[in-house]
Amino acid sequence: MIPGRLLAVIFMAGLLLAAGMQNRYDATVNYFGDRATFVSLPSGKALKTLSFGYSNLAADLLFIWSIQFYSATYLTNRFDFLERVYDTITDITPQYKEPYIIGSLIMVYEARDIPMALRLLDKGSRHNPDEWFFDQDAGYYCFKFLKDYPKAEFYYQRAAAKPGAPAFVKRWKAHLVYLNDDPGAAYRMWLEIYENAGDAMEKAAAFNHLYQIKSEIDTGLLEEKIARFRENFRRWPSSLVELIKARLVSALPSDFSGNDYIYDPEKGTVTAARIFRWKRR
Amino acid sequence: MKMSMKGIAINTFKESARNKMFYLLVFFGILFALSSKLISFLTLGDAMKVLKDTGLAAVNFFCVLIAIFTGINLVYKEIEKKTIFNILSKPVSRDQFIIGKFLGLALTMLTALAAMAGIFFLFVWMSGGGFDLKIILYFFMLFLELLVIVAISLLFSSFTTPILSFIFTVSLYLIGHIMWTFNEFKTVLRVPFWKHFVQGLYYLLPNLDKFNIKNEVVLNTAFNPWTILFSVLYALAYILALLAVTILIFRRREFQ
Amino acid sequence: MKALEIKDLKKTFRSNFLFKKYRILKGIQLSVEKGEIYGFLGPNGAGKTTTIKCVLGLLFPDQGEILIDGQPAHSVTARRRIGFLPENPYFYDYLSARELLFFSASLFNLPAAIVRDRVAALIHQVGLSGYEDLKLRKFSKGMIQRLGLAQALIHDPDLLILDEPFSGLDPIGRKDLRTLILSLREQGKTIFFSSHILQDVEMMVDRVGIILNGAIRREGKLSELISRSIQYYEIVCANIAEKELAKIQPNFVCRDDQFFITLASDADINLVVESIIHNGGRIAAVNPVKMTLEDIFFNEMQPHRPATTAGGADGARTSRSEGAGRDNQ
Repeated sequence: MIPGRLLAVIFMAGLLLAAGMQNRYDATVNYFGDRATFVSLPSGKALKTLSFGYSNLAADLLFIWSIQFYSATYLTNRFDFLERVYDTITDITPQYKEPYIIGSLIMVYEARDIPMALRLLDKGSRHNPDEWFFDQDAGYYCFKFLKDYPKAEFYYQRAAAKPGAPAFVKRWKAHLVYLNDDPGAAYRMWLEIYENAGDAMEKAAAFNHLYQIKSEIDTGLLEEKIARFRENFRRWPSSLVELIKARLVSALPSDFSGNDYIYDPEKGTVTAARIFRWKRR
Repeated sequence: MKMSMKGIAINTFKESARNKMFYLLVFFGILFALSSKLISFLTLGDAMKVLKDTGLAAVNFFCVLIAIFTGINLVYKEIEKKTIFNILSKPVSRDQFIIGKFLGLALTMLTALAAMAGIFFLFVWMSGGGFDLKIILYFFMLFLELLVIVAISLLFSSFTTPILSFIFTVSLYLIGHIMWTFNEFKTVLRVPFWKHFVQGLYYLLPNLDKFNIKNEVVLNTAFNPWTILFSVLYALAYILALLAVTILIFRRREFQ
Repeated sequence: MKALEIKDLKKTFRSNFLFKKYRILKGIQLSVEKGEIYGFLGPNGAGKTTTIKCVLGLLFPDQGEILIDGQPAHSVTARRRIGFLPENPYFYDYLSARELLFFSASLFNLPAAIVRDRVAALIHQVGLSGYEDLKLRKFSKGMIQRLGLAQALIHDPDLLILDEPFSGLDPIGRKDLRTLILSLREQGKTIFFSSHILQDVEMMVDRVGIILNGAIRREGKLSELISRSIQYYEIVCANIAEKELAKIQPNFVCRDDQFFITLASDADINLVVESIIHNGGRIAAVNPVKMTLEDIFFNEMQPHRPATTAGGADGARTSRSEGAGRDNQ
C-alpha cells in the first residue's frame, strides 16, 4: 500500500513533469510552421458534411479560432490560407455576416491584399443582397487604398440602393461622384440629401458639401470669365460687377449661403467666404 | 505483492480477450484499414498518401474506441457484479487492484493495436509503400496516446457510471486534440487571472495532439526527434499522475 | 488471542441526496474463539453483512476496533488469514472453475506447485470434480456456492468468514456444507458465518451472536443459552378418557388420539404419570421442551420488532406451547 501522501506527491509531480514536457515540446515545435496544419482543411461543403448537423457550430468554432489565429502577430506567414479559411466559413453559413467583415478587415489591414478582401465582400453581398455594408466597406477600401474612384463609386452606388442604407452612404456616394469629376451630378445628389436630411448633422454635412461644390463650380466659372476679361481688356476687372458690364456673365452667382464671392482684384482670384479643405485626393 | 497485480492484469486481459465486442472492433478496424485501398483509387496523384492516411485513421479510430469502451466498464463492472469482493477481501491492496487493472488494459490495447498495426503495415508494404519504419513510430505514439486514454477512462470508471465515464472520457479526448489552440488563446487575454487560469488548464488537461504524427509520417516531413522524447515523458508523467489520483479516489470507496 | 474480536463497531450510511443518516451498526461487540464455529444470527437488515464487510475492509467503520488474531483488521496482511465467501457470490463467468481458483491463488502469492495440488484437492473436496473446466456461466447456484468455498480455502486460512452460506442451497447442499464446515473445524480452523436460517445454525455452532437493529442482543455458548431455558415439560399419553385426564391435569391438548399435557415444572411429572397409569392410560413420552434457538431468537425480537420485519424462520420444529409468542406475528 503506497502511503496516501506519497500518492499525492506522485500526482503533483506527474502533473508538473507533464507540464514541463509540454512546455519543452511547445518550444521545439512550431505549430503553424513545422506542423503544416492546414494541409488538410476541408472545403466548406466537406466540412458541412463532416460536422453531422453541427455545421453552424463548426463554422462558429472555425471563425473563433481564426480570430485568435490571425491576431497572433508574431506568426509570420499565417496568411497563406487566409482566403481558404474564410471561404470555408462563409460556404457553410453564407448568411453569417461577421466572417465577411472580420475576414475582409484582416485581409485589408493585416495581409494587405485588397482584391482578396473585395472578393470576400462581393461574396457577402451576393449572399446577403439586402445588406448595404458589404458594398459600403468594399467601396471604402477602393477609395482609401486602391484610390480607384470609379470602382468605389460603383460600390457606393450599390450600397446606397439597398434598403436601410444610412444617410452617410449616400453622402459618400455623392462625394465619390464628385471625386470622379462630375461635380454637377454630385451637387444634385447632395441637394437631394440636403432636402431629405434626417437630422441637423446630416443637413450640416450636406450643406458643407453643397457649399464647397457650388463654390468650386462658381469660382471656377468666375475665374474662367475673369481670365477672358483679362484677355480682352489686358487687366484684371476691378470688381466682379465689371464682368456683368462686359456681358461675360448675366448675373453674379452667390455662394450656397447666399453671400457674394470674394474677389481679389490684384491677383484675379475668386474665393468663397468659407474655405473648406477637401484635400483627400 | 507483484504477483497479485500480475494476476489481476492477466485476468483483465482475459476478460477482454473473451469478449465478443472486442473482436468485433478489432475486426472492423482491420477491415476499414484495408478498405483504404479502395479509397485511394478515388484520388488523383499520390494514392499511397491517401492509403496511408485512411488506414492510419481507421486504426486510430478503432483503437480509441476500444480503449474507451473497455476502460469505462472495467472497474464499474467489478463493483456492479460484486466480483470485486472476491479480490479486495484477499490481501490485495486497492493500489494493486488499480495498477493491475491498468496493466491489463495496457496489455489489451497492445494486442489490439499490434493486430491492426501489423496487418496494416504488411498491407502497406505489399501495396508498394515500402518498408516504412515511420509507420511503426506512429503506432508507438498512438500506443502512448491510448495508454493515456485508458488511464483517463479508468479514473472515471473508478467512481462513476459507464455513461458518465463515457461522456467525460470522450470529451477529454476531443478537448485533448484541440488543446494546441489554447496557446494562441492565452495571448489574447489581458487580465492576469484569466491568463493564468487558461495556462493552468492548458497544462492540466491532456494534450493529445502531440501523439498525432500522421502528417509527419505520411508526408515524410522533417521533425525534431526531441519531440518524441518529450512526448514519451509527457505520457509517462501524465499517466502516473492519473493513476495516483485514481488510487487516491478508489481508496475511499466503500462497497455496500 | 481470539480469532476475531469486534469492539464497539459503529457504522452510519448517508443517503445519496438527502443528508439523512442511517445508523446501521450501533456498537457491535463480539468475539470468536479460535477453533470454534460461531453463528452470527439476525433478521434481514440487522447489519450482518455490514459487520462482515467492515471486518474485510470493504466498508470503513466510523468507530470501533476490529482485531484478527490480535492484529488490526484494516491492514492488508490481516486478510491473509481470512477466507471469505460473500452472500450470493458471483465470479467471472468467462473463466472456468480451475482458472478461477488459479486466479484466486495468484492473489496470495502462493508457490505454483502448492497451488496446483491444492486446486485439485479443493475441487474434489467441494464436490466439483468433473466440472473444473466448465465455464462459470454454465454453473448452477449450488455449484457456484461450492466453488466459492473452494476459493475461500485456496490459501488454507485459519479463519473462515461466510455470509449466508446456506442460502439457496438444496438439502443435499446444506448437508454437504455442514459436513464440510465441521470437518474444517476438525482441522483446527475457526468458522464465522451469518445466517437467518436457525435450524442450520443450531445444528452446528459452538457459539452464537444474535444481532438485531445494529446491536448484539445475546451472545454466548449455544448450550448455555439453551440449557438455561427449559420452557416446560410435556407428557404424551393415550388410552384415557378426556374427563379423567382433565381431573389429573387440565393443561392438555388432544391430537390424533393422543394427549399432550403441559407441565410447568418437573416436580409434578411423577405424580401425573402415576395418575395416568392408574387410570389405565399409556404413557408414550415424557419430554423436556427447551427453548429452541428460534424461541430465543424471537424472544429477542419481540419487544423491539418493527412492523415490517420478515420473520424468516422456516419453523421445521415447532414448539407446542402458547407461551412462546411465535404465533403472535
